[in-house]
Amino acid sequence: MAESMKNYHDSLKEALEDSFLRKTLDTFAVQYKVNRANIFADMNATELINEIADHKDKAMLKLDELYQQFVEQASKKGLHIHRASTAQEANDIICNIAKENNVKKIIKSKSMTAEETHVNHALEANGFEVVETDLGEWIIQLRHEGPTHMVMPAIHLSRYQVADTFSEATKQDQDSDIGKLVKVARYELRAHFADADMGISGANFAIADSGTIGICTNEGNGRLTTTLPRVHVAICGIDKIVPNIEDALRIIQVLPRNATAQAITTYVSWISGSSNCEINSDKRKIFHLVFLDNGRTSLLKDPKCGQALRCVRCGACANVCPVYRLVGGHKMGYVYIGAIGLILTYFFHGHDRAKNLIQNCINCHACKDICAAGIDLPGIIQEIRARLVEEEGSPISSTLLAKVMTNRKLFHTLLKFGKFAQKPMTSGKFVRHLPTIFAGDQSFRSLPAIASESFRDRFAKLNASAQGTPKVGIFAGCAQDFVYPEQLESAVKILQAKGAGVAFPYEQSCCGLPLQMMGEREAAKKTAKANVDAFSNSNVDYIVTLCASCASHMKDHYTELTGDDPSYKDKTAKYLSKLIDFSSLAKNVLKVTEDDFINRGAKVAYHSPCHLCRGLGVTKEPRELIGLAGEYVPTAEEDVCCGFGGTYTMKFPEISSTVLALKLKNVEEGSKDGIKPELLVTDCPGCIMQLRGGEHKHGDKVKVQHISEFLGHNLKSK
Amino acid sequence: MPGNPGTIDASAVELFKAKAKLATIVIAEVKDLAAAIDYAIEVTEKSELGKLMPTKAGTIPPSDPNRKKTLTAPSISDADYAVLAQKGEAKGFTMIRSGLRQYLAGIDVGFTVADIGIAETATSACENDSEDYRLASMISETHVLALAKSKIVKTSYDAVSYLKEAFGREHNYTSFISGPSRTADIERVLTLGVHGPLYMHIALMEE
Repeated sequence: MAESMKNYHDSLKEALEDSFLRKTLDTFAVQYKVNRANIFADMNATELINEIADHKDKAMLKLDELYQQFVEQASKKGLHIHRASTAQEANDIICNIAKENNVKKIIKSKSMTAEETHVNHALEANGFEVVETDLGEWIIQLRHEGPTHMVMPAIHLSRYQVADTFSEATKQDQDSDIGKLVKVARYELRAHFADADMGISGANFAIADSGTIGICTNEGNGRLTTTLPRVHVAICGIDKIVPNIEDALRIIQVLPRNATAQAITTYVSWISGSSNCEINSDKRKIFHLVFLDNGRTSLLKDPKCGQALRCVRCGACANVCPVYRLVGGHKMGYVYIGAIGLILTYFFHGHDRAKNLIQNCINCHACKDICAAGIDLPGIIQEIRARLVEEEGSPISSTLLAKVMTNRKLFHTLLKFGKFAQKPMTSGKFVRHLPTIFAGDQSFRSLPAIASESFRDRFAKLNASAQGTPKVGIFAGCAQDFVYPEQLESAVKILQAKGAGVAFPYEQSCCGLPLQMMGEREAAKKTAKANVDAFSNSNVDYIVTLCASCASHMKDHYTELTGDDPSYKDKTAKYLSKLIDFSSLAKNVLKVTEDDFINRGAKVAYHSPCHLCRGLGVTKEPRELIGLAGEYVPTAEEDVCCGFGGTYTMKFPEISSTVLALKLKNVEEGSKDGIKPELLVTDCPGCIMQLRGGEHKHGDKVKVQHISEFLGHNLKSK
Repeated sequence: MPGNPGTIDASAVELFKAKAKLATIVIAEVKDLAAAIDYAIEVTEKSELGKLMPTKAGTIPPSDPNRKKTLTAPSISDADYAVLAQKGEAKGFTMIRSGLRQYLAGIDVGFTVADIGIAETATSACENDSEDYRLASMISETHVLALAKSKIVKTSYDAVSYLKEAFGREHNYTSFISGPSRTADIERVLTLGVHGPLYMHIALMEE
């Protein structure tokens, strides 16, 4: 059943009000990053992740062959292999195995694939008793809930809730001491292990060249599940097939480190063929393996989304997601959770279940940055949005925006008209009263007023010289062209002071990111081509943008967006090769030094925009620039999203505002050694809109500036 | 088999010890298997009498006031077991060599010998197709494992030839064990001994 967007918002609000959940996930989000950095300290994580991606891709290309090889090897060793094309088929197979073997009680160790097929429901409907043995899974089974994290399924529950659940299950009062609760599980579950007839496990790997499965667990329940009962059924997706042990070992280098910041899970069990089992007449385990397809074969052939099959289920995409951190897994996935959960829900559990979830991505790229298999998670999420628009049609607002934005003149006329329309509502640089459709949900931060004169109208008056070295073309982006032209003017001032020539091709338009985010693919293509054309004859050495979001969108998507027309191949490549962010240009090309600035000793915090630090990989330059003209004050979680996310802030104001509050709290608290910043500098106008608006509502404790404004303000006049 | 018999990669051993500490594994350094056996006896003697779990018939009732400490070592050779059993019985332990399924309520100490060690993760690897062997390292409250220093390699990739040989057999169950059983499923608080051993000791053997 499709959930309405309103119901989804209601459930998000409920989650936001769950103070235990908020506190737990907040602590986790902060500790996880520290712990992960430590556990990867003496390794090259990026290189390892690239290798995993590469090997996974290669394996997926010859999956049929590997599958055959696995079947051949494993069948020789007495393993019964089944292939299920749907979840229902998998469940039927497992139910039949249980019936044929006269099974009564079944124990399970953790398996996301079994969650995916809802095998417990099927088994229980057929009269079998099913007991989860992973502690977290057992807790949520007793509570009739689904997991809220792929690795820590009960992370949303407190010890008191667990004590209540265990008291009910054991019919005696249980202490809320965690050590004692773990003992309760040990005692209760050991008894189930003792008399279960069948064990169901997942598999992290199916190794083709030896017909071996590999299972990673910390608790050891996987080992008992595969040892004690007379029958063992393993279920795994066909995507878990790897060519050889080396591939599995490579994944193990990253999987536990990414999941829980452990060097390795306590146990890894490698099972080849039917192992010794004393209670069967031939002393051998009855061993079945069910390979699940459930949409994987078609996903494999999907050129844009197929890489989702690289996923090793570490759960790290949830660990770093600023939205997951606020609302938890029940609102950030269906069975699979986090960014990969949004994606797999669409492919495995149907478009209806996915269509609200898929909107709830802020596009901060934190998941892409950490993914154990280097999956472009935000890119796939955007692709799915585009498909949903194509399948179901756009919402009216989105169609209108697409129409307007592909017509540059109309769009710009409307923006200019906007400055008159807003007149009665503005107060200084902010909009005083919001039109009623925005009031309420959007009131957490002031929205900026449209500038009285756009940058494109002011540029001619600046008398900037086009002569100079290097010659720099300005890509303005909508926010700075029409809302914050002073940021661009400040950049022009610095460029000219350093002898650079400046050009502004007037035919440029919106970069197209808002269209991309809403899934308006055709409109995004048109704007991309318009911008490439606008700069193609300008003869500039660099195209600088002061908006990290524009830059990362162009870098990541323009090749593809203009790719349907071969005449753009070279033009787009040239355009992208010239593209640079302002901080990198100032530091590395213009080579500004402290001699260029008057350092007034201002204490300056920095917000690292998602699309700059992760999108473009620029982290060092802005902080160094701050140091040239002020004192850089490091604050906590500088690289965590501000909550803006373009259209996201309009769609999910309840989350956007909470992410913002966290950001401002970190800034206002200052550095570890107690230095409080007076300025907050960043290099993306979207972040500025959010941060400055939030600070305005917050009493303007810290002044928010674009790095170009900060540098321009302190530039020595010659 | 990785490593040349008798040669010890000292830096791998040091790395193993350092990583073992992080994984809450107690390390003892001993001369040989005989000394490791003595160490298992010593650990059993010092351990508290485990609280056994109520489970199906055939196990030791938890309330038995005369219950003696139990020590199992199903996978060592007859000769080594004879030595262990003699010493264990002298200390008054109940010695168990097979049929561990009958002791699911718990055993105090399980003693096993690993095939190889992987230093970077303090992992002990062993082929344990025998269910008794597996259970000895799972249902015991304390797991004492003997590992020859000469069998310690640096990384998991160095164990590939060992693993390939193992996986090539008709029946094989190979385990990586890297510490006591652990969970953080309740409030992310690390707790040891959820399903398997609460404590793990490794006796690193010179020979």
